[in-house]
Amino acid sequence: MVNQHVRNDPRSAAPGAWLEMSRREALRLASAGVASLAGLGLTAGCGSVPAPAPANAPRRRGGVYSHGATGGGLKDTLDPHFPVTNPDIARCFNLYEPLLRWNNDYEVEPALAESIEPSDDALTWTVRLRQGVEFHHGKTVTAQDVLHTLAVVTDPKKTAPGGVQLAEVLDLKASRIVDPRTISLKLKTPYAILDQLLAEYTVGIIPTDFDLSNPVGTGPFRYERFVPGQLSQFRRHDGYWDTPAYVDELFIYDFADDAAKVNALLAGQVQSIDNLPTYLVGTIGNQGASTLVADSGAWVPFTIRVDVAPFSDPRVREALRLVVDRRQMIDQALNGYGFLGNDLYAPFDPAYARDLPQRERDVDRARSLLRAAGQADLDVELVTSTAVGAGGVESANLFVDQARGAGIRVRLTKADPNTFYGDRYLSWNFAQDFWNTRNYLPQVASCALKSSPYNETHFDDPQFVQIVRAASAETDEAARNRLLHDAQEIEYERGGYIIWGFRRQVDAYSNLVTGLKPHRYQPCDAFGFKHASFVS
Amino acid sequence: MTALLPYLRSRRFVVGLVVTLAVALLAVTGPSFAPHGQNDIVGRPFTTDGAFGTDYLGQDVLSRVLAGGRSILLVSLLATILGMVLGVLIGVVAAYAGGWIDEALMRLNDVVLAFPQILLALLVLTAISEPAWWVIVLLVGFSHAPRVARVARGVALGIVPRDFVTAAEALGESRARVLLAEVLPNMTAPLLAEAGLRLTYSIGMVAGIGFLGFATNPGAADWGQMINENRLALLVQPWAVVLPVLVIGVFTIGTNLLADGVAQVAGKGGQ
Repeated sequence: MVNQHVRNDPRSAAPGAWLEMSRREALRLASAGVASLAGLGLTAGCGSVPAPAPANAPRRRGGVYSHGATGGGLKDTLDPHFPVTNPDIARCFNLYEPLLRWNNDYEVEPALAESIEPSDDALTWTVRLRQGVEFHHGKTVTAQDVLHTLAVVTDPKKTAPGGVQLAEVLDLKASRIVDPRTISLKLKTPYAILDQLLAEYTVGIIPTDFDLSNPVGTGPFRYERFVPGQLSQFRRHDGYWDTPAYVDELFIYDFADDAAKVNALLAGQVQSIDNLPTYLVGTIGNQGASTLVADSGAWVPFTIRVDVAPFSDPRVREALRLVVDRRQMIDQALNGYGFLGNDLYAPFDPAYARDLPQRERDVDRARSLLRAAGQADLDVELVTSTAVGAGGVESANLFVDQARGAGIRVRLTKADPNTFYGDRYLSWNFAQDFWNTRNYLPQVASCALKSSPYNETHFDDPQFVQIVRAASAETDEAARNRLLHDAQEIEYERGGYIIWGFRRQVDAYSNLVTGLKPHRYQPCDAFGFKHASFVS
Repeated sequence: MTALLPYLRSRRFVVGLVVTLAVALLAVTGPSFAPHGQNDIVGRPFTTDGAFGTDYLGQDVLSRVLAGGRSILLVSLLATILGMVLGVLIGVVAAYAGGWIDEALMRLNDVVLAFPQILLALLVLTAISEPAWWVIVLLVGFSHAPRVARVARGVALGIVPRDFVTAAEALGESRARVLLAEVLPNMTAPLLAEAGLRLTYSIGMVAGIGFLGFATNPGAADWGQMINENRLALLVQPWAVVLPVLVIGVFTIGTNLLADGVAQVAGKGGQ
């Protein structure tokens, strides 16, 4: 069975093999290709491909569900607290669960905790665990496991992305276990939005005997097999506390190439894919698949290291921001599936600084800034990769052309996913990345502090840190938002990101399955394959 | 001119020559009459605006096809020349020297021949983040050399024992002069046929390298790269793929016919 899956790996077509074919083989293949293309058109026309399942379609339990995830590589991980690429994130969502979670409308709701209540001064938070939740190996989730998880993610030697802000505020030594289901979390300073931090998927609860070689969590699927850069295999967790998964087995495949990913969906080798190229939205419906479009706050920034020349000069970074035609980026790179960005993230956060002037393309000012910085003939390398997902490579190509208009020569390098998210990830001078929806403070903790695990811009601004600290400790929402506005102003002026827009999350699934719903937080119903089932 | 007459009487040769020159002319002069710049945005991605619609970024497909041939043809031509020069040198030296030099050169040749051409090229390209155009020329050229060497040796083996070569040696001419003045001129027809065939393979390989994402400039128009960039939308806007495929196809048919024509005439003793 295992071997069969490897043999049927939907990514197994060898690139370049056609160059070694004999003339006869090539002709045979070409005829087959033409026939299959014609076939696609014909089947689309005569309606033999499955139509979208109606909302009340009878759902079947069982079956093997496969998802095609964008990106991934040899650095793939099962670590619940250090996911990087889409396949990593998808694994996190299906193996582990945090105390709270974000629902489809991007609101916090209970998960492993049935309640989390702050004291009046927000210095003590009482966590009440749900009754009888079991890890995949049968052990019941206890307060001890929660404290262990929090200790792991805030470990000063290896702070996890979800633990950076927690490490600042949590006083684990003073926190105590009230009973097996109740924890009293003590904070060093008041912190009003602790629930948002605890709802991040990167704070999945693990047992005290957690072993990464045979990982267990409380998620809807339990671990079976993992081949970095290729696939991961899971079985349904029958003791799952929430609605159990419909399907028996789940496969998550890495796809470095959009064409292979889409073809795998249309050929029925996977049942869903994340990050469908937006130009296929109009046609994929004729080929037996449906789209899942969510108004997310996902972004595909250009990342500029602020600590290396010539980018260390804020005038150079400002010039690079000014050459961007943001509307063109959204129209061309996202095919209109997005909304304008202003070099700030977290658009759904109440503190989002909407009042800052919208940055527009201004080539003259960009040239003048570059001249002032002694970089009139700026020549830079921009590194992109298909692993960045929808809009990534496209926006990079557009940037090259837009920058040319300001006399900037941008050399575009297209790195393969293994290289891009390999050893040099977080050290590219000028590159791209992808981020899904987050509120401001959790996002700052992930990418904008010296201690942030994904500080790809190497941003380290003392004034910014001071304001963020003050905002984190501020329990009055209006006052906190004012501070966060000041922090955003600093990033707007001298940060290392070019955030030209936010993309609507466009994913696709086969019409043979049902149950996935748009989710504002993460792709593919927050990789919620427990909701997916085959239609009868 | 008289030497060309037998070739001009070959229908294959003439058709091949006309097709090859027509595509080469299109590639060289195309950018000057393209309706848009190769990177100009003229509409939304994959629309049917313009003669052949737009590509994945909303760039004009026709303009990019007209602009995308120069580099592929130049690189292919230079790679073919390099491969021919190296291959002929190895093959002729091996045939003329004979003995252990011949054995050593040909066994080494066999080792290199055991690897698929594209594999060797990809091995090097994956190690280079942004390959310069000359790197691709070297890779494709070197990968041709062993194949050309085998053909050249075979042809040279039939010429080296002939009387006029022995006579030249008896007159005390240097080895280099014997090779250049006596052996090589008598290999012209089969080598021309081989050159045509190698040019066809060069185009396929250079286009393949672009298709696999190793283009020298990821933003520039390049026929191979265009197929890669737009293949996913084949059913949405086919011209973005079909047009570069057609041009590459027609050009390779042209060079193939040209090579066939030369071989045909040579086979009839046209040399």
